[in-house]
Amino acid sequence: MPSSVDINLIPNVHRFENCPKDEMNALAMDLTHAVYPHDQVYGKYCTLEEYIACPPEAVFEYLSDVHCLAEWTYSMRDFAPTEQDGLYVSLDKIGSATRIFTKVKSVPGAMTVDYHCAWDQGDALWMIYLMRVVPAQLVLNKPGSVVLWTNCKHPHYENNPFPDAAPEGRDLWVGDLWPFFYAGHHVEMQNLKSILEHRHASGEAIRPWVSK
Amino acid sequence: MTQLSQPPLSLVGTASYLPETVRDNAFFGCTDTKNPMFKGSRTRHHVADGETAVQMIERAARRLGENLDLDFGRDVDVLLTNVSCLDQPFTGCGASVARVLGCKPRWIIDMQNTGCVSFVFMLDLARALIRSGARSALLCNVQNAGGRIFAHPENRARPQSAIPGDGCGVGYVVANDESPVRAIETLSHGEYADDMRVKSEDGEAWWAPRSGPLHIDFTQSRIGKIVSRGNQLVPKIVTKACAEAGISVSDIDVLVTNQPNKTFLRNWREALLMPEEKHVHTFEDHGNLFGAAMPISIEKAALQGTLTNGSTLAIGGFSHAGDYSGAAIVDWRGQSEHVQ
Repeated sequence: MPSSVDINLIPNVHRFENCPKDEMNALAMDLTHAVYPHDQVYGKYCTLEEYIACPPEAVFEYLSDVHCLAEWTYSMRDFAPTEQDGLYVSLDKIGSATRIFTKVKSVPGAMTVDYHCAWDQGDALWMIYLMRVVPAQLVLNKPGSVVLWTNCKHPHYENNPFPDAAPEGRDLWVGDLWPFFYAGHHVEMQNLKSILEHRHASGEAIRPWVSK
Repeated sequence: MTQLSQPPLSLVGTASYLPETVRDNAFFGCTDTKNPMFKGSRTRHHVADGETAVQMIERAARRLGENLDLDFGRDVDVLLTNVSCLDQPFTGCGASVARVLGCKPRWIIDMQNTGCVSFVFMLDLARALIRSGARSALLCNVQNAGGRIFAHPENRARPQSAIPGDGCGVGYVVANDESPVRAIETLSHGEYADDMRVKSEDGEAWWAPRSGPLHIDFTQSRIGKIVSRGNQLVPKIVTKACAEAGISVSDIDVLVTNQPNKTFLRNWREALLMPEEKHVHTFEDHGNLFGAAMPISIEKAALQGTLTNGSTLAIGGFSHAGDYSGAAIVDWRGQSEHVQ
């Protein structure tokens, strides 16, 4: 069905047809700063990207296995299955005795791996880590992988909706760490890169916990 | 000890001359103030037909001479000029300036390069010549391409034409520690030298007989790169000059830069974490003054009381499409608002 409204008349739509090149250039200049405040870049979304010298299939296979999180994350350890299919519980040692629940949703064709997680309870998995593996051959013209990783600042990061589920005596809420998400995720991305590049270069198994 | 202490170099004052004719945005056929290309600059001055760079320098220098009680016949060992649109090809205008001011400098140098950042390069050259025995230098910057080139009826409608404004800024430096220049940093970036060209629509060279006026060509494909390098060059070299002077960027009391457009002014200020009131410029009233912007803005800062005795003044900028960048730090104890 054809659109009833000319899209060039919709406010804030800039297209070649309604925004001449000179105007677009000026707009681009206005939007291009020398520096950007941290909060402006990482306040609502936290996106990172990294090149990893390891084939995309191997990176995808590794990320799709929940047990990899016990390796490349800073503080998720001791994974165990729960009664619910695909839902795992582990400790997030950054929150001392905090339990974190995780379900991995991966899509082989698109090579997306999403970790649906939550602190303290496993009924509402609202902390979602969106990752995508891209063949570096396509985007950088070299072997290996590019990993994209985004978190969105869900309102629960501001206020813990399940305070009763927290372990006794814990003052910290995961959302208090949001200003450090870029830093923490950068460190973890480097862990991921270092581990996978080491294993690939030395010919070791990518997932050594899986028996052959 | 820095080399600057032997012998010292002081920037003791600057003065301006602005041509009488003031053009508003309507002159360029643009009454739509929403157009981002026209944002920021309300007016700019244009030189009159027949008004020369030599006359502009003379007028600004006479003001400076009165403010500082200079005897041009005695007090100018070095005369440096930079003029964006030359009065005459081949000759430069330094010798004519010496004639009208009645001075007999040992060195007269007409600098054709370093455009918008030429004031910093002049400070550096004056320092070198003072180390070679000179006692004083008059630095003269003229921007006169607005009236001469961009006011042309065939040029007016170009978005770039409303940006340049004409004016002259002069500065005076002496070999003492009255108002010491603590650091000067200069860099050349030859790799960016060919990204700005003077062109005409008919494709003829500037010296060839032509049917249309000249304009400046920053090709579309290079604009993103030029903006990006401009964003980086200036904060980088100001920071370097601060380090050379042994101060941190937050110690700067007044920042003066070249003023190509509002975006660069904003970006440099943001990158140096500088509050707006410390960054003194005249872009709204004068447009892009090329090399004349720095001495004119220093004068403005002194006259309005932003730059006072004891202020740390940082001067920084880049030229053309990024071929030169430079910055200087001055412990300002020069001419202040009491002069006027």
